[in-house]
Amino acid sequence: MSVIDPVRYEILRHRLWVIGEEGRAALQRVSASPIVVQGGECMQSFYDASGRMVLACSGHLRFAAATSDAIKLLIREFGSSPGFHEGDQIFNNDPYVAGSHTYDQMVVMPIFAERRLIGWTASSSHTADTGGLLRGTATEIYHEGLRVRALKVVERGQFRDDVCKTIVEQCRDPYYVELDLRSRVAANNVSGARVLRLVEQFGLEFVEAAMRKMIEDSERLARAKLRELPDGTWRSRTYATAMRSARPFQVRCTMTKARDEVSFDFAGTSPQQDDDQNSTLPSTLAHVALALTNMLFWDVPWSDGKMAPVRVSVPEGTFLNCRFPAACGGAPRVGQILVSAVTECVAKMLYAAGRLEEVNAGWQGLWYQGGPGYFYGGTNANGLPVAQGLYDIHGGGFGATPLRDGVDTGGHANIPAGGISDVERIELSYPFLYFARNHNPDGAGYGRHRGGAGSHRLYMVYGSSDLTVDFRPYGGIPNGGFGLFGGYPCGTGGMRAILATDPVALARRLAEGRYPTSGREAVEGGWATVHVPEAGRPRVALPERWLVSDFVQSGGGFGDPLEREPETVARDVASGFFTRDAAERFFGVRLDRDGAADLAATDALRDETRARRRRDARASADAPATLPPGDPLATPHHSLEIVRASAGARWRCRRCGADLGDAAASYKRGALRAIRPLGQVSDAPLPAGDFIGELHEYYCPGCVALLQVDVFCPTLGDDAMLHDIALAMVARAPQPA
Amino acid sequence: MTTGHRVPLGGAGARPRDEHELRAPIIIGIDVGGTFTDVALLDAAGHVRMAKAATTPADPTNGVLAALESGASGLGIDLVELLRRTRRITHGSTIATNALLTRTGPVLGLVTTRGFEDTPAIMRAIGRVDGLSEEEVRHPASLTKPVPLVARTRTEGVFERIDVRGTVVVPLRDGDVVRALERLIETEGVGALAVCLLNAWANPVHEERIAALVDERYGARVYVSYGHRLARVAGEYARTNTALVDAFVGPRVQRYLRGLEDELRRRGFVGDVLAMQGNGGVASAGQCSPVATLQSGPAGGMLAAAHIAKTLGHDRVLTADMGGTSFDVGLCIEGGWSYADEPVFDRFRVQQPIIEVDSIGAGGGTIARYEEATARLVVGPRSAGADPGPACYGAGGDEPTVTDANVVLGVIDPRYFLGGARALDATLAHRAVERVARPLGLDATRGADGIRRIIEGKMADLIRRQVIRSGHLPETFVLYAFGGASGMHAAAFARELGIPRVYVFPTSAVFSAFGIALADVRHTRLRTVEHVLPVPPRLLNAPLDELGAELLEIMDREGFARTDARLRRYASLRYLRQTQAVELELPEAPLDAEAIATLSRLFAQRYHALYGTGAGDPDALVEVSALRVDAVGPVPKPALAAAELDGEAPPEPKAWRSVHLDGRPSQTPIYEWSGLRAGQRVGGPAVVESAFTTVVVPAGMSALVDRFGNLAIDAKGSAS
Repeated sequence: MSVIDPVRYEILRHRLWVIGEEGRAALQRVSASPIVVQGGECMQSFYDASGRMVLACSGHLRFAAATSDAIKLLIREFGSSPGFHEGDQIFNNDPYVAGSHTYDQMVVMPIFAERRLIGWTASSSHTADTGGLLRGTATEIYHEGLRVRALKVVERGQFRDDVCKTIVEQCRDPYYVELDLRSRVAANNVSGARVLRLVEQFGLEFVEAAMRKMIEDSERLARAKLRELPDGTWRSRTYATAMRSARPFQVRCTMTKARDEVSFDFAGTSPQQDDDQNSTLPSTLAHVALALTNMLFWDVPWSDGKMAPVRVSVPEGTFLNCRFPAACGGAPRVGQILVSAVTECVAKMLYAAGRLEEVNAGWQGLWYQGGPGYFYGGTNANGLPVAQGLYDIHGGGFGATPLRDGVDTGGHANIPAGGISDVERIELSYPFLYFARNHNPDGAGYGRHRGGAGSHRLYMVYGSSDLTVDFRPYGGIPNGGFGLFGGYPCGTGGMRAILATDPVALARRLAEGRYPTSGREAVEGGWATVHVPEAGRPRVALPERWLVSDFVQSGGGFGDPLEREPETVARDVASGFFTRDAAERFFGVRLDRDGAADLAATDALRDETRARRRRDARASADAPATLPPGDPLATPHHSLEIVRASAGARWRCRRCGADLGDAAASYKRGALRAIRPLGQVSDAPLPAGDFIGELHEYYCPGCVALLQVDVFCPTLGDDAMLHDIALAMVARAPQPA
Repeated sequence: MTTGHRVPLGGAGARPRDEHELRAPIIIGIDVGGTFTDVALLDAAGHVRMAKAATTPADPTNGVLAALESGASGLGIDLVELLRRTRRITHGSTIATNALLTRTGPVLGLVTTRGFEDTPAIMRAIGRVDGLSEEEVRHPASLTKPVPLVARTRTEGVFERIDVRGTVVVPLRDGDVVRALERLIETEGVGALAVCLLNAWANPVHEERIAALVDERYGARVYVSYGHRLARVAGEYARTNTALVDAFVGPRVQRYLRGLEDELRRRGFVGDVLAMQGNGGVASAGQCSPVATLQSGPAGGMLAAAHIAKTLGHDRVLTADMGGTSFDVGLCIEGGWSYADEPVFDRFRVQQPIIEVDSIGAGGGTIARYEEATARLVVGPRSAGADPGPACYGAGGDEPTVTDANVVLGVIDPRYFLGGARALDATLAHRAVERVARPLGLDATRGADGIRRIIEGKMADLIRRQVIRSGHLPETFVLYAFGGASGMHAAAFARELGIPRVYVFPTSAVFSAFGIALADVRHTRLRTVEHVLPVPPRLLNAPLDELGAELLEIMDREGFARTDARLRRYASLRYLRQTQAVELELPEAPLDAEAIATLSRLFAQRYHALYGTGAGDPDALVEVSALRVDAVGPVPKPALAAAELDGEAPPEPKAWRSVHLDGRPSQTPIYEWSGLRAGQRVGGPAVVESAFTTVVVPAGMSALVDRFGNLAIDAKGSAS
């Protein structure tokens, strides 16, 4: 460990952080992009001379993670020609180098003191336009517009108008792209000058020693944290569906934690896609870092030291390590599916460590994907172009925890301090009139603790004659969510559809003082009919006075929903989180006419539900073997513990004592299993197409408590009974490879 | 400074005012804080007297009366006599804030647009982090939203839709409203009601219809807050919160203000009782909406700073208010201040014109710890708060705080903390600091010195960030330091920030009350608009006139003739599609085409000044996004009393003690503030003490006592 004056070190590291904040403020003031200024999608970060990250400031987490790779590549490829000089600033937006898609753009600047390179600073932000094809249609990265590996936009202190114009003229909206570009230059100017002042104040030697210590400190904290957690292997699988067909693909994640290191292996992940649903290796690494920052290393200052004990292996040619020139515009969405997979493994590890307050079920659960998106085209009532994105997804529901329900409309994993816009603000600039934006009934994952609800919305096209939206085929499989220990990955509610209306009839009914407040109401009340455009149309028109219904992601549940207090379920129904139907089917709770829980009827219904679980799982009539009570060796599952028995370490039900078999194997082998096709789980058909795949529910053979709900897609041909929890303490000697 | 005309405040012609003013020259400012109720008394000669009493949370009136009694006895008279001689009592309180913090208020109901019943619970998702510090938001898995002020089951949606231009798309039906009111008021028995409909800022016709139905059926039986009456601004989440907060704190605030006024009248007070508002002005109790009284304390601090800045001729002032647990920073530029965009109270953002003062979370209670894995001395962000407080309080806290470090270093005299009102245990401070210092190979003194330097470095950083975010540079400001702990650190962080001069005030301990005493009557109205320039003048003049007329009517009810109330009008402009606007003051005359062209030009200039050349685009379209009108009714106030300069003789220390400053201990002169005379200069290193605060003058600096008794520390000309 570097030994330096601890007081000056503290002053310096805080100052470096605030310098980054100053840079970010400069960027946000110059940028015109709402997603940057209000959504906070930007980042200022610092690197040592070799490109190792010293500190990332608050802001959009995804951006900081991969920039050190970009700097290392610049040094390797262009270090001798053209070389880097004092006052240079280099533009990059190549997702095969750093960032997630071409919209993630950065300007990096070498910092020189005493006539040598002492470090780098980088300013990154999201730009809404890169030229190229409109969102949803790219099949190779060449379609995704501007892609620059390295161009000096400032050279030896001179802003190069020729380079700037060359870049921005590739885009549809050069004025705004230029403002964004200039804002990054401004941020670097501010940060670079302040770093030099720091060197003046503290001396170069001290600054360099402090930068080394900052990286070392993070590594020490990360390793210390890992040492406190149990060793073992955890596995997860999450799904997503494609852009141009309803075809699903999967992330397979195997996390192995040993001593003070952790590794992630994505073997078994689907091949790369022929649309833009791909992630380059830098994007994948950035999202792994993001997931770990949110869930595990949240109290570790962010430098490259944080990721030193982390190994990531991603087979090339999978959609998480796509081969050039695969398109990757959808990388942030793919990244969410990946974050979910990583987070599930981490959550189960944290549970095994007893750190219950840090455990969260999934944040990204969508019952299905497909239908209209949120990337608009066209003009509004003032004749101005409609801003491309509308980000209600920044207000998704968060996962349930062992101690409480998930946070409703909590936010977005990438942007911890982000938020969504007021409906009134949206109506000021978009050609929409909203009829509803509320919590999405039945959207949240069912469980003893329910997931946080996302929102749904229903709006009417209002004041545009040329509006279009991206549209994708309906892919009927839960995307990206996970429940924990019997909780569902997400709820079954929500409608995403374009709804055709008869404008005259609609106007008449509006004038009577009525309107629908959900997609379902609009269809069932005869206001509109579901419009499914002909196949293969990536963008579709939204005629004036038609309706659009959609919903955002929600949180996964925790624990068996039959364990939720009936009164709590009654309150959920009264508050609009669940329908009566879901209360009965998933929670086994009957309400009386006034909406209060009918306790006797609930008991009966819950008994009936347990009996049905047995029938569906074809349980034998015999009582299962039980294990005697005793202190557990470990409790890696809410309902199960590992105990030492005469036959070795065994899985044991914490409620009924049932024996679920050898602890070296999956508890699922000793559990009952019922397979439920997704179409039967849902109470509503998809707007078009069919549900794909199944829910696999695992129950305790004794008390039939729900232990785990897996989403499974048989057509992808993976191991159905995923061995999700394998503690090292009970593992058998590994087989020779 | 005395204003030129006499203003009939609070009911013109009701009393022979001029005579009363002669007979009753005193004006009083009261600031009911969480711990203390502060009183500032100003007499006609501009002398300020201070008094304090413990706040009495159960009924704060008692604390107010006790503080007034204490103030009276300072003048050698009784309370009745003080009230007889008093013309005006201006009152700021944390009643509303505390009601919100402790969730003490009526059961609320909400009537909103059908389909949007979850707006208060969705909180634009940002409600999960609103009101939390940066450190607190770092662990997203552990954060939850606050419980909304209204339950979903007591929220009734009524069918109605109005678009952003104010056109009714779906009409409101009376029957729907009546059913909603019946359920909330009669079945649910709510104690207060908020009404907030979508786009009522653009057209309040539906909210007004609901108001008519409420009045017709329930009269004054139920307290109701209407969104559009509190804020004609787009943004339904914050506007709904505004109505909810107003309904939640309203009955309590009104009851309290009425009760206080009754108590004062019973003791013979005939002058005006006014309520301080967060916008930096006062209003009579009748014209003041309860939600507007939030943040009246910090507004008082800003007003005091503005008044002193005017007296001393400072046009760029940075205010730093450091207490035990908080550190608030504000900017006073050319005597004015800015209003925060959707300020957050507790965990709820609202739409009210509230003076922008940012809390940056550092104070005497900030805790230092040793982090073993990295061998770091980490200072903050955790705070020991008031309970258990610093280790030296002996109240059970054993972690070292900034206050403990100051005790160890000899900056704070443990026997003269708060004038000796609270004895501190120096041994406990030593022990606590030593525990974190020893693993680093430091003794207690060097550890304490480290804690002090680290917190001062952080404060300098955070102040710099606040100033930079507002588009300014700190070195162009004068620093005003107030609050109990500022004086100990202000010179050090001013040096780091490059700020040349620091002022510490003898009224520092009741600074807010002092500012509140000086407040003018002020009402503010905001209006969202959407016009791309060049706009036909009438489209701006019409809403400006409407706002102006509305305000003049209010000022009339406050007792101001039209000629006495001053209207100031502002417009917010931005480049089309940008999100951050720049506010410009408008001329007094109605706008014509030329004025609007000028506006465009001024905007471009101001934009470049704020954001740098090359940031804006001369060809881009500019839009007006909001209008604001302030009505100000100046109230008479005395000029501050100034002493003759008497600085020939060097000041006499009351004692010498070993104080460890700038890395080494030395025998340091200690001065009693009240013993210093105008014009005297205290050379550093030195400590100036009073019963309320301690001021450090570091080596290489000096402090001049000015004619108002302020300490002006010259922070220039010394290396760091």
